[in-house]
Amino acid sequence: MSEKPEHFIIDGKRLDGRRVDELRSVKIKLSPLDRADGSCYIEWGRNKIMAAVYGPRELHPRHRQNMTKAVVQYRYNMAAFSVSDRIRPGHSRRSIEISKVGRDAFEYVVFTKFFPKTAIDVFIEVLQADAGTRTAGINAASLALADAGIPMRGLVSACAVGKVDGEIVLDLMKEEDNFGEADVPVAMAAGGKITHLQMDGHLTRDEFYEALKLAKIGCDKVYKLQRQALIEKYSGDYAENGEDAITQSEGDADE
Amino acid sequence: MERNIAIPGDVVSDNIKMSGSGTYVHGDTVRASVYGLLNVGERYISVIPLAGKYIPCASDRVIGIITEVVYSNWIVDINSPYEGLLHISQYPRRIDSENMSKYLKVGDCILTMVASVDAGMKVELTLREKELRVLSNGRIVTINPTKMPRVIGRNGSMIRLLKSEIGCNMFVGQNGRIWINGSDDCIDLAIQTVKYIEDNAHTPGLTERVQAFLKAKEKTRYGKVHESRNDEE
Amino acid sequence: MQMSDDVMAEIHRDYLFNLVLKGERDDGRAFDEFRDISIETGVAGMAEGSALVTLGDTQILVGIKIQPGEPFPDTPDVGVIITNAELIPMASPEYEAGPPREGAIEIARVVDRGIRESKAIDLEKLCMIEGEKVWIIFIDIHVLNNGGNIIDAASIGSIAALLNTTLPAERYGLGEDSPLPVRDIPIAITAIEFGGELILDPSLEEGKLAGTVYTVITNSDNGISGMQKSGVEPLTIDQVMRVVDMAGTAAAKIREKFLEV
Repeated sequence: MSEKPEHFIIDGKRLDGRRVDELRSVKIKLSPLDRADGSCYIEWGRNKIMAAVYGPRELHPRHRQNMTKAVVQYRYNMAAFSVSDRIRPGHSRRSIEISKVGRDAFEYVVFTKFFPKTAIDVFIEVLQADAGTRTAGINAASLALADAGIPMRGLVSACAVGKVDGEIVLDLMKEEDNFGEADVPVAMAAGGKITHLQMDGHLTRDEFYEALKLAKIGCDKVYKLQRQALIEKYSGDYAENGEDAITQSEGDADE
Repeated sequence: MERNIAIPGDVVSDNIKMSGSGTYVHGDTVRASVYGLLNVGERYISVIPLAGKYIPCASDRVIGIITEVVYSNWIVDINSPYEGLLHISQYPRRIDSENMSKYLKVGDCILTMVASVDAGMKVELTLREKELRVLSNGRIVTINPTKMPRVIGRNGSMIRLLKSEIGCNMFVGQNGRIWINGSDDCIDLAIQTVKYIEDNAHTPGLTERVQAFLKAKEKTRYGKVHESRNDEE
Repeated sequence: MQMSDDVMAEIHRDYLFNLVLKGERDDGRAFDEFRDISIETGVAGMAEGSALVTLGDTQILVGIKIQPGEPFPDTPDVGVIITNAELIPMASPEYEAGPPREGAIEIARVVDRGIRESKAIDLEKLCMIEGEKVWIIFIDIHVLNNGGNIIDAASIGSIAALLNTTLPAERYGLGEDSPLPVRDIPIAITAIEFGGELILDPSLEEGKLAGTVYTVITNSDNGISGMQKSGVEPLTIDQVMRVVDMAGTAAAKIREKFLEV
C-alpha cells in the first residue's frame, strides 16, 4: 500500500484538485446491455461500474417466493481484475455485506406489491475500483431500475462523506478512504429519506451531523446527474420543455 | 397533448384525484412511479412507461408457446413473469389426458385468451373462444410490450392500416407478441414495419411516418416485381 | 430486452431451418460471415492488460493480472497461466450467481488451450528463479452480455488483452516494466451444423438450434492449436475438415483487421 500523504487539503484543494464539497467526474451510459431488462454503465472518478436489472421475473427456488410482493435481490461483485491485487472470484464477506445493505436501500423505493411471487434482480459489477464503489453502484442501480421500467417512489442517490485534515469532505477518493478518519456512505430517496447508511471510523456527534448535511448536498447533486442522464436518453425528437412542468419535490432532512 | 419525460418521483400534479396509471399519491401530490412519457389528460394524469413486462389481465388475447405438458395442464410461456396454465378442459374439444402432446406439444404456438388471473397470480388460459387456435405456420415477432398499443393504434387503426397496406394476416397479442402470415415478402415487410413502430413509438405523427415508410418500401417492392416480370417475358 | 430462453417456438425453428435451406440466415449474413467486431484495449485500468470485445451483441471484458509466485512442482522452470471465465448473472437471464459451472469451465479451458498450445506466450521467459519464482498470469474472462458465440469473443478478447499487457516488474522490485512477450495470435472460430450446413459465428438463436458446436483454434501460421466439439450430433470427416479450413480463413481475417501491430 502507498504511504499516507502528509496533507490531504492544501489551500482548500484536495489531492486531486477538488474542493471539499465537490464530486468526482461522472459519466453515465444507459442501456449498454441488451439481454438485461435495464442497465447502466457509470464512470465515477476512476471507478468503472456496470449495473443491470432483470425483473420482475420468476423467482427460483419456489419456496422463496413471496405471495404478496416481489423480492428484491441485490448482488454486488468485483471483477478479479478490478483492483491492484487480483481478487479470487466468488463471494467475499465484504461483497455479501454490501449486497445486503444494497438490497435494503432499494426495498423501500420499489413498488414490490405490484408483482407478487416474482424477483427483481439487481446486479452490480465493479470493473475498475477506486474508492466509493458501493455508492456509485447504488447510483447506477437506480438508473438501471428506471431503465427497466420498474415502478418506484423515486430514484435513490448516494455518495460517501468522510473526514480528512479535520475537515468533512464529500466523495472520498482512494487516499482519503484509506487514510482518512471516517468513511460514511449514504443513500437518499426523495424527501431526504435515508435508505442506506454505514460508517467506518470515528466522528463526534456534531461532526457526524455536519457530514449528513454535506451528504444531503452531495445526494442532491447526484440526483441531478441521474435525472439528466434519463432525460437525455430520450431527447432526440423530444426537446425537454424549458418551463419544466415537472419538478422534484424539495426534501427536508428533518422529515 | 403535451409530452414530457417523467422520471420516478417527479411531482406531476397537486390534485390527487388526477392520479392515473404510472403515478402514485404521496401526501397531497401526485408523483410519477415509472420512467416514461407524461400524459396529461382532462381527468387523469398518467405516465406511459418506456419499458416493462407484460402482466396478464383477464380477457387479454395473447400468443403463447407451450413449454411443458404436466398432468392435465399445458404450461404456457406468455412472455410474462407469470406463466399461463391451459387446462385440458379448455382445449376446444374433449380430449384424453393420456396423450395431450398429440394435440399440443412443447414448442407449439397458440393464440389464446386469459380467462382469469387470481390473487395469487395463477393465470388460467382458454382456447374455447372464437378465433383462438393453434398457429401452425407463419412467424412470430416479439416486441417491447409497452409499445403494443402503438402497433394496435386507436380503435385498431394502425393494425388495420398494416394489414391492408402489406396484405398479410396479422394477430397482435397484448403480451408483446405478433403473429404474421402470408408470403415471405409480406412477412418480411410486416416485421420491418412493426420494428419501425417499436423504435418510433414515442414520436408524434406516427401514422404518417408509417405510411411514408410503407410507401418507400413499396417502391422497392414494385421494382423487384417489375424485374422478375421482365425475366419471365 | 431479454429473450425467453426456455422453449423456442416450433414455427420459428421451422423458419430458421427453411432459411438455411435457401442459403440464408435471419440477420442476412453469409454462412461464413462474422458479425461486427470491435476491440478496445486498456479498459480495465487496474489490470496489467485488458480488452473489451464486442462481437455482434456479445460483450466480454478480459482482464490480465500478473503477479510473482511459485511455479508448479512438475514444471519448475516455466511461468504459469491460469484462465478463468465468469458467466456473470447480468449477462443472460439463464446465468445464476455461483461458482463456474460446466459452460464457463469449458470456455475457460478451450481458450486456455489455444493460448498454451500455440505457445503464444514463451513461458520459459517468465521464469525468474527456477523452482522458486515465476510470473503467474491470470486471464479472467468476464462475460457482460451473451449475444451468442461467447467462445470466439472470449478468445479474441484474451489475445487482444495479452497483446496489450505489461509485466509489472517495478511494482515488485524486480526491474523495469516491460511488455509481455507474445509471439503468436491464436484465435478460436466456432461453427454449428444446422440443416446440413456449416455456419460460422452462430447468433444467440442459431446457437440454440445447433445439435453440435465445433470450435477450431488456429494460429498465425495457420496451424491448429486446439479444438473442441461440444454437443450430441456427430460430424463427418469432411465436415470437420471444412470447418478447419473455414476457421483458418476467418481467423486470418480477424487477425489482419484487428490484432496485428
